Amino acid sequence: MKAVCWMGTSKVETLDVPDPSLLNPHDAIIKVTRTAICGSDLHLFDGFIPTMEAGDILGHEFMGIVEEVGKGVTNLQRGDRVVVPFTIACGNCLFCKKKIWSACDNTNPNAHLMEMAYGYSGSGLFGYSHMMGGYAGGQAQYVRVPFANVGPLKVENDLPDEKVLFLSDIFPTGYMAAENAQIQEGDTVAVWGCGPVGQFAIASAFMLGAARVIAIDRLPERLELARSIGAITVDYSDEDVSVLTAVKDLTGGAGPDGCIDAVGLESHSTELQGVYDKIKTAVMLETDRPSVLRQAIQAVRKGGTLSIPGVYGGLLDKVPFGAAFGKGITMKMGQTNMHSYMKPLLDRIEKGQIDPTYIISHRIPLDEAPEMYKVWRDKREAVTKIVIDPWAARAA
Amino acid sequence: MANALKERPNFEPLPKAAASAIIQDGRYLPPPEDKDGKQWIRTSALVQASAEDLYTKWRDLESVPLWQEQIREVVQTGPKTSHWVMASGDKTIEWDSEILNDEPGRRIAWRSIAGDSNNAGEVIFEAATGGRGTIVIVLQEFRMGKLASAWETMTGRNPKQAVIENLRHFKAFAETGEIPRTQGQSHGPRGVIGKMKASLYGEDVKTPPTSERKVS
Repeated sequence: MKAVCWMGTSKVETLDVPDPSLLNPHDAIIKVTRTAICGSDLHLFDGFIPTMEAGDILGHEFMGIVEEVGKGVTNLQRGDRVVVPFTIACGNCLFCKKKIWSACDNTNPNAHLMEMAYGYSGSGLFGYSHMMGGYAGGQAQYVRVPFANVGPLKVENDLPDEKVLFLSDIFPTGYMAAENAQIQEGDTVAVWGCGPVGQFAIASAFMLGAARVIAIDRLPERLELARSIGAITVDYSDEDVSVLTAVKDLTGGAGPDGCIDAVGLESHSTELQGVYDKIKTAVMLETDRPSVLRQAIQAVRKGGTLSIPGVYGGLLDKVPFGAAFGKGITMKMGQTNMHSYMKPLLDRIEKGQIDPTYIISHRIPLDEAPEMYKVWRDKREAVTKIVIDPWAARAA
Repeated sequence: MANALKERPNFEPLPKAAASAIIQDGRYLPPPEDKDGKQWIRTSALVQASAEDLYTKWRDLESVPLWQEQIREVVQTGPKTSHWVMASGDKTIEWDSEILNDEPGRRIAWRSIAGDSNNAGEVIFEAATGGRGTIVIVLQEFRMGKLASAWETMTGRNPKQAVIENLRHFKAFAETGEIPRTQGQSHGPRGVIGKMKASLYGEDVKTPPTSERKVS
């Protein structure tokens, strides 16, 4: 089959690789009908995530048709159309039982690497480094899905793939971000970063009762999308704009009730640096550059909530913790507990409350993926979201 | 002083002297120190299954190759004795083991009695507080020698890490019926560095099979 492989920093290739096979009783093989490039894949492309190896198949947003199931999978059968969550959960450990799915104990074969870095390991992820499990990803024609008895959501309607594809990561991630902002009716919420996750955080904030949403970014195409769903936009690259002043001006000096950092570790630039002697040689951890986080802590109102869907990986310098304490703010964060959100959000799509395709800017075949990683990273075109059809022929 | 706090609605009595010796008389006890050529590892896991079921699973020694790394075969040679074969590629070590203490649903203690190994250990199954499953505690001791060095050479793991990984496998096997695995999955061509990291990535460390009786 064809698959998008990470072959080194800034080096991604579409290659012929062996088809996946069932390895465990709860595995399924999915024929991928649509997949996407995630903003977080650019962190991999740029080489900021440790424990990637040449040959790793990328991709954690995908859906498709069940091709084959292991003998432990009774809820799916060949031919079912499914969306697959990017986090893998076993369904049986204490964390899954508590519905903290992204903290699943039993799905990361390389848990010891995470334990060295974080104390405990979270769940395995598709296509996102060996310390996160080392699972082959879904930017491919076929993919092996472990614990298919727990994760994949059956889609039994005639909605096109594109409308439900983003249930695999970014819609639930944006939704959980809004939920984590503890929005009350009539709140004003500020969102840093208007990429796909930011877009769905804005949309979800409105769905959860926000009266106003302030959207902060610099790219015109993203700001335009944010305005298209009702947000007030702030272009931080405008030299006359101070974000802190803007959010005060827009809230009568009170500050936003909730702030969402949908940017994360690469907010302007990042530097790769070893952390902890013990793991330095084996697992390089990055030091994050938390400029958005700092600003959001400053911006949130007294007693407000800061929600962080943006990814952080390592150690942060000069976080204004005094401001966080002084204002008595709440911070909520973490990988998305996908399995709790997919079905309710599918219902919202089916009811027509939201059409997630509004963020798509590019539709490409698998062969064009390597080029599009570069185009998006270098901002050569106005990219908001790239969707891949793994079976489409390359345009002539 | 003893009556200063009267409101402890969910307090659970502390063990008087747990066999695992993590708590004694209300104090936390750290694991034994490595000394005199002995290495110790104590590790624990919280498992969503009953102590009885977990004991039964652990006590079925001939099924150990299904969830412990590099164990090729275990043969029960008597009510309390067993023969162990550990292998990787063409290297093999073998030893005999005997059970010193067998308390169904609670505890198993063992030691090696002959062969290429000098080890002893115990496993304890304790109800977790709050009804949150069973805590499985493994305490294992190695004499540095052929076993430890052979183990390290073969598995690329030091023996302490192997005990931790084996308990992790046991938990996953007990909770889900399988051990998470990437060995055998698809990937593109690996670089030189990737090939050198056999001891780090599950793709290269042999994951126990969980389903076949004998590992080949």
